[in-house]
Amino acid sequence: MTQSTKIIRYVSRRVFQGVPIIIAIIVINFFLLNLAEGDAVDVLAGEAGSATPEYMAQLRAKFGLDQPLPVQLLVYLKNVLALDLGYSFRHDMPVSDLIFDRFFATGLLMTCTILLAVGFGVLLGLLAAMQLNTWKDAVITVFALITYATPLFWVGLMMIVVFSLKLGWLPTSGMENVAAFYEGWDRAKDIAVHLILPTITLSLFYLALYTRMMRASMLEQYGQDYVVTARAKGLTERRITFVHVLRNALLPVVTMAGVQVGALIGGSVIVESVFAWPGLGMLAFESLFARDLNLLLGIFMLSSILVIVVNLIVDIIYCFLDPRIEVS
Amino acid sequence: MNRLLKSCLVAATLALSNVSAHAGKDGGTLSFLVQPEPPTLASYVSTSGPIGLVMPKVYEGLFDYDNDGKMIPILAESYEMSADGKTVTFNLRKGVKWHDGKPFTSADVQFTVMDVLKKVHPRGPNSFREVSAIETPDAHTAIFKLNKPAPYMMRSFSAYESPMVPKHLLEGQDVKSAPLANNPVGTGPFKFVEWKKGQYIRLDKNEDYWLEGLPHLDRIVGRFIPDASTRTAAMENGEVLYAAYNAIPNIDAVRLKDRDDIDVTTDGYSMINPMALIEFNTKEGPFVDPAVRRAISTAIDRRFMIDTIFFGYGKPATSALSSNFKATNLHATMPNYPERGDVAKANAMLDAAGFKKNSDGVRLNGVLDIIPYGEDWRRAGEYLKQVMGDIGINLELRYEDVPTWLKRVYHRYDFQMNVNYFYQLPDPVLGVHRHYGTDQIRKGTHFVNSSRYSNPTLDALLDSGAGEPDAAKRTAAYNEIQQILANDMPVVNLFELEFLVVYNNKLKGAYDSAMGAYGSFREAYLDD
Repeated sequence: MTQSTKIIRYVSRRVFQGVPIIIAIIVINFFLLNLAEGDAVDVLAGEAGSATPEYMAQLRAKFGLDQPLPVQLLVYLKNVLALDLGYSFRHDMPVSDLIFDRFFATGLLMTCTILLAVGFGVLLGLLAAMQLNTWKDAVITVFALITYATPLFWVGLMMIVVFSLKLGWLPTSGMENVAAFYEGWDRAKDIAVHLILPTITLSLFYLALYTRMMRASMLEQYGQDYVVTARAKGLTERRITFVHVLRNALLPVVTMAGVQVGALIGGSVIVESVFAWPGLGMLAFESLFARDLNLLLGIFMLSSILVIVVNLIVDIIYCFLDPRIEVS
Repeated sequence: MNRLLKSCLVAATLALSNVSAHAGKDGGTLSFLVQPEPPTLASYVSTSGPIGLVMPKVYEGLFDYDNDGKMIPILAESYEMSADGKTVTFNLRKGVKWHDGKPFTSADVQFTVMDVLKKVHPRGPNSFREVSAIETPDAHTAIFKLNKPAPYMMRSFSAYESPMVPKHLLEGQDVKSAPLANNPVGTGPFKFVEWKKGQYIRLDKNEDYWLEGLPHLDRIVGRFIPDASTRTAAMENGEVLYAAYNAIPNIDAVRLKDRDDIDVTTDGYSMINPMALIEFNTKEGPFVDPAVRRAISTAIDRRFMIDTIFFGYGKPATSALSSNFKATNLHATMPNYPERGDVAKANAMLDAAGFKKNSDGVRLNGVLDIIPYGEDWRRAGEYLKQVMGDIGINLELRYEDVPTWLKRVYHRYDFQMNVNYFYQLPDPVLGVHRHYGTDQIRKGTHFVNSSRYSNPTLDALLDSGAGEPDAAKRTAAYNEIQQILANDMPVVNLFELEFLVVYNNKLKGAYDSAMGAYGSFREAYLDD
């Protein structure tokens, strides 16, 4: 069997295995969410001021909330299998539209953050490991510790104070300049400018993590027998570091990045809130308080799919980084 | 003769307060804060605050109200009320068009009131409860037939309270789920363009607005920024120019108002009349005895709460009614409502009522629920726990999320004492009666009589207060109502909340309506 057919078979098997996992996640989430007191109708009616019980009963019937829980679950599962994520009664829109709308913003922030955090994390970790116990190593380690220990919301607010209020270089919040409504390239540039602060804030935290991980991983590899062998062969330190050690040291970092992509969807709530970034994290957070269960289940399902897919990609990347690992 | 005279008078006052298009600069975009993001844009189904910030720019009412409470004709040019108060004739404005080009007629008014507001609006069934029919002899005349006189109805024609909606886009559909909700078509100065979830709502100038020369602004954008500190930063940076309903918290507002470009006002809330209060469970638990509730009201230092927790914005409550009802002669100052708390007197009241302190100095144990609408309320709860401790009432605080709290208080009545706030609205019939009437003990309905207080004498007085066309008799009825409530105290009012509007002073002309942020902004302009 060639390597590529092996990979295809492996991927299809993993995808197949993913289906029951996702269904299990839906079922567990469904019951977990229904444990919370009150439903979407209570919240809507509460916000609206006074609403009559008849009106609320009507709404419940319309939303299907008057059915027993198992029936609601079955209806939901049936719809999901037909690729219909249901309807958000709060937003008066299909769940898939809502999620799709926000996914662009989340995807953009997530991709930029991961690239920045992993890229710079690997670079800084490498530098620190190569300059072990010099002042450079000390500076990088202290920087990583401080950014790791600082609360995200505080970093975000300080960024706004410095770069928006004091220097006036960047906008405080949002994804676009709403007074201008740019089109085409101007719009892309506008979004890029709005993206800078949230990306830096969110990646600072992860950057610290990857820096420390990369440094430790490099140091561990330096102590391995194959490095001694390479030195004995007379290879340059440069070649040993970049060809042999780096590849091996990357494995744990890649694993970690794979796990965190899933967490980033929900974990960016604070950054989305501080910078008014219209992403999925904030949407999930608000839907929880609005008891918008269809929407929440949709978001949870999306993130579980994302975690499964990213982990699959990570497993495949392993094979390329370390040919000793094979898919089977 | 009497009727004719009255009609003439009404017509004359309306003519005097008739619209004069404000001079102002044309053009520009106004970004303002909408907090939180509204659930829908159907202002004819929900009175939720953020919807009120946006939709009165798109839908209009028959009238608006100025800061003195005078009626400003909008979609109605004038009205005549019959001497018995049971027939009200509205003369509608001619030449008004919906944003889709169809003409606005009396059929729209009839449909809006009878089929929309009276049926699906949260407060409409109350505001228009006496309306039995609306006759439309021609396209520009709507005659409201009432079962009983309803003086309060004339206070509820604003775009926020009773928006006029297009019959041709709702007729024959389920009003609550019609697509008009999120694709609104109104007659107002601004047209709905788009709603980017999580980001903004965009409204553009209505070029065919019926009043020549208005609106001044080209565009209004309502922005959603979830984090309070970022909202403040956006205000400081000039990215947003207007923030109402405490989108900028008081703690930041008092700092911002020292800047040259930012001002703060408490105007624009007189039709809303928010009142902070404590609801008591009068059926079970430690607070069923009115003497205890009177002592609690006596012990609370209202001035301290306002100055310390709300940064000086607020007025101590002096009765069951807000002092804003002085304008209609309905408010009277009552006993048991001291501005500064009197702990010694409260202790004496409890001693006299036979509640003895035990060896730990505790007379009663209770739980205080707190409205889950932010930090200020939590601090108010902490203060109340402390002062109640001084009079021997040991309180435990409970802070839950919105749906849980609503269920507890309004569905299960599983509470003893609940800090809350109510909108008293422009008339007690609209905002206050729901708190006290026996018919307002409606399990499962939010923001009504949760204390389950029931008093036939009071019910009769509330009824006569609602239907009394004679101003002096109405005053007398409400005087008696306030006396009963100051004695029984099913609800202890704390203070009249003063919400703030924080605005960049290059925005002008947005402050003339009593509706404030719930106004149309048609005369707003940017002056740089």
